[in-house]
Amino acid sequence: MYNRIASNRRKTIFIIFAFVIFITALGFAIGYFIDYRYGINSGYSILLMVFALIIAVVMSFSSYYWSDRLVLGLTGAVPLSREENPREYYMVEGLAIAAGLPMPRVYVIEEPGMNAFATGRNPQNSVIALTRGIMNNLNDEELKGVIAHELSHIKNHDILLQTIIVVLVGMVTIISNIFFRSMFFGGGRRSSSSSRESGSGGLISVIFLAIGLVLIMLSPLIALLIRFAVSRQREYLADANGAMITRYPAGLANALKKLSAYSEVRTANNATEHIFIASPFGKNSKVAFSGLFNSHPPLQERIKRLEEMSLGIGIKSESAIQDEIKFKDGA
Amino acid sequence: MIAAIIVPIVVVVAIIIILLLAGVGIYNGIVTLRNRIDNAWSQIDVQLRKRYDLIPNLVETVKGYAAHERETLEKVIQARALGIDAKSVGDQSKAENMITSTLKSLFAVAEQYPNLKADQHFTKLMEELNGIESNIAYARQFYNDSVLQYNTKIQTFPGNIFAGWYKFTAREYFEITEPEARGPVKVQF
Repeated sequence: MYNRIASNRRKTIFIIFAFVIFITALGFAIGYFIDYRYGINSGYSILLMVFALIIAVVMSFSSYYWSDRLVLGLTGAVPLSREENPREYYMVEGLAIAAGLPMPRVYVIEEPGMNAFATGRNPQNSVIALTRGIMNNLNDEELKGVIAHELSHIKNHDILLQTIIVVLVGMVTIISNIFFRSMFFGGGRRSSSSSRESGSGGLISVIFLAIGLVLIMLSPLIALLIRFAVSRQREYLADANGAMITRYPAGLANALKKLSAYSEVRTANNATEHIFIASPFGKNSKVAFSGLFNSHPPLQERIKRLEEMSLGIGIKSESAIQDEIKFKDGA
Repeated sequence: MIAAIIVPIVVVVAIIIILLLAGVGIYNGIVTLRNRIDNAWSQIDVQLRKRYDLIPNLVETVKGYAAHERETLEKVIQARALGIDAKSVGDQSKAENMITSTLKSLFAVAEQYPNLKADQHFTKLMEELNGIESNIAYARQFYNDSVLQYNTKIQTFPGNIFAGWYKFTAREYFEITEPEARGPVKVQF
């Protein structure tokens, strides 16, 4: 378990470095094109590179401290009131005690689909968000299974990495979208104006178009990066650890069966997809590249493993289960 | 000539350093687990205290409707006093089991008084009590898990060597006598 925490820390640092280098390189590339246009010595490449570096570093730091708020904002999660939802509060409180964690804050997403996620930078600053659908449609044992799964993500320190990926990868997606759109809108204007003024405007558009295209081509690479960082193994591991907290693997197994019917969350996007317990995209999703970004192992396989655990738990010692988890994790 | 002397010395020193570092690691691991038990115990304590605070309130409410059920009420109070005075883990778990069972007979009594059951204050107290009881069960689970890990560590090699040197002793589990007091499934580890 401590190896997992260390590995998450390493990956977080790696992702931040990759992001800073990427943004700095992008700044340099834009500056280089402008230099090319106005003469090699105009110095835009260095200026923009430094500018991009500063922005990237500031963004990395702020994403460490505030990314949970951003994720909650992006998904439209709001604090859940204790008075109106005592059932969920008691569950989170009790399971947090069983996991030996401080009580996380509880948020709700007003969506009929059944889904959940955890976010935050460490166990002391963590949040569990549940959709209204999951609260209404799962029975106590099933919902406990889901909450315990999310608590395991908190305990294994998966949440910081997952949350930082949302922000940094989301940022790259947004930037590429801006350039991509400029291809259509800016591009359209260019063709009408190019007859009047020759040169600079046209060149800038071409540069933007080129960068946009490069970024679009990079997005499979970014998807690959997410897959590397958020391996499917961690979902299996959180399932297994969660089942150890509730001592009842069938609860989570039954919950996942229900989730497989309707886990859609309309506020989810490619950047936030991987933090949910089950894929928030429906079967006929309209989100671009949704298959590519799908970082979730098949629900059928997760249910199968939980049911196997459920059969074996009566006769296995805790250390045997631990060993099994380690083995399945490939560590 | 010099190499023939230095190489063995370096090897021996390296081995000693590695052994020392491994020892520090094992020792720190044991202490960490022991501290986790203390932390887990304080979690149980917090929940138990919540229940102690709630019981007098509950008894007063029941008294308002069923004053002549003196015997049942007194048993609850006695069990509570026993729990507060408990010093060891064993005494504490015995007292808590007693509180749980006396509360059960109190609820059985309450069943016979429809007015009491309809009392809003009483229903609210019952809800709170249920929440606390399940939290006690969870806290007990975390405590026992921590004890299991610690005891295993100090009883298996190489932890048992350190346990001998530094007098690490096995800790007591927080036992429950009634099988139905446990959650929906009973798992025997």
